Amino acid sequence: MLGELLYILAAAIITWLLFVSVDIFFRLPEKGGVSGASAVARDIQAAGGDIAGGNMMGNIVCSPDASAGTLLAACGVYVAGIPGGLIAAALVFIGNRICHDPGYAGTTGALLATFVVYGFTQVGFTATNFIAGTVIAILSIQGISHVHASRLLARLWRVRQ
Amino acid sequence: MIALPLVAVVAVVAALRATFERNTARKLPYVNVLNFAIAASIVLLRDHPLSLVAAAAYFVGSTLEANAIASTYAGARNQ
Repeated sequence: MLGELLYILAAAIITWLLFVSVDIFFRLPEKGGVSGASAVARDIQAAGGDIAGGNMMGNIVCSPDASAGTLLAACGVYVAGIPGGLIAAALVFIGNRICHDPGYAGTTGALLATFVVYGFTQVGFTATNFIAGTVIAILSIQGISHVHASRLLARLWRVRQ
Repeated sequence: MIALPLVAVVAVVAALRATFERNTARKLPYVNVLNFAIAASIVLLRDHPLSLVAAAAYFVGSTLEANAIASTYAGARNQ
């Protein structure tokens, strides 16, 4: 059981790096994609956080981004291998269009995560490690401290700039 | 199989934090974590291709709801 926990923690770190890189590459911290995302960002800033990190957190709330893509791709690989991950990417693409998101962060994240998760299943990990790992990774950003998470994301965004 | 209990604990923690957070907009990231955990547990509970479709449908639907709540909140505040 301890071994499985360590695998989940390692998967959480891998997925965190994957979806934060993809989201920052697709410029999610630059501005809120919809007015709701900007409202979340403003309230996080008012609480002492950073607006750039808040924008990214607001965008994650308002449309399936790379983290959602990573979760659904891991779910897809779990139920049906690589084809399952590709189906998950298609579902994320549809989800982005439904949520009025013009970007491709979610779809790209899902496609990349499909191959990353499948690759790691060949070296001892299981897809369930990545499903739980993605939930832990999103908890670390959206569910622990909005102020500190937004500052960390803003710091990474400034490196990207 | 510790993944499902772990995800369930995350869901409960996120639900509690969303309940006790006073600011409406800042409730939504906690609800987002809850949605991740529920979508994950749908697939972890039942290993079937349709579980993936159910999880994706749930996740997209709940994200659209969060989007609508956030946009309504933004609109009401700007008035």
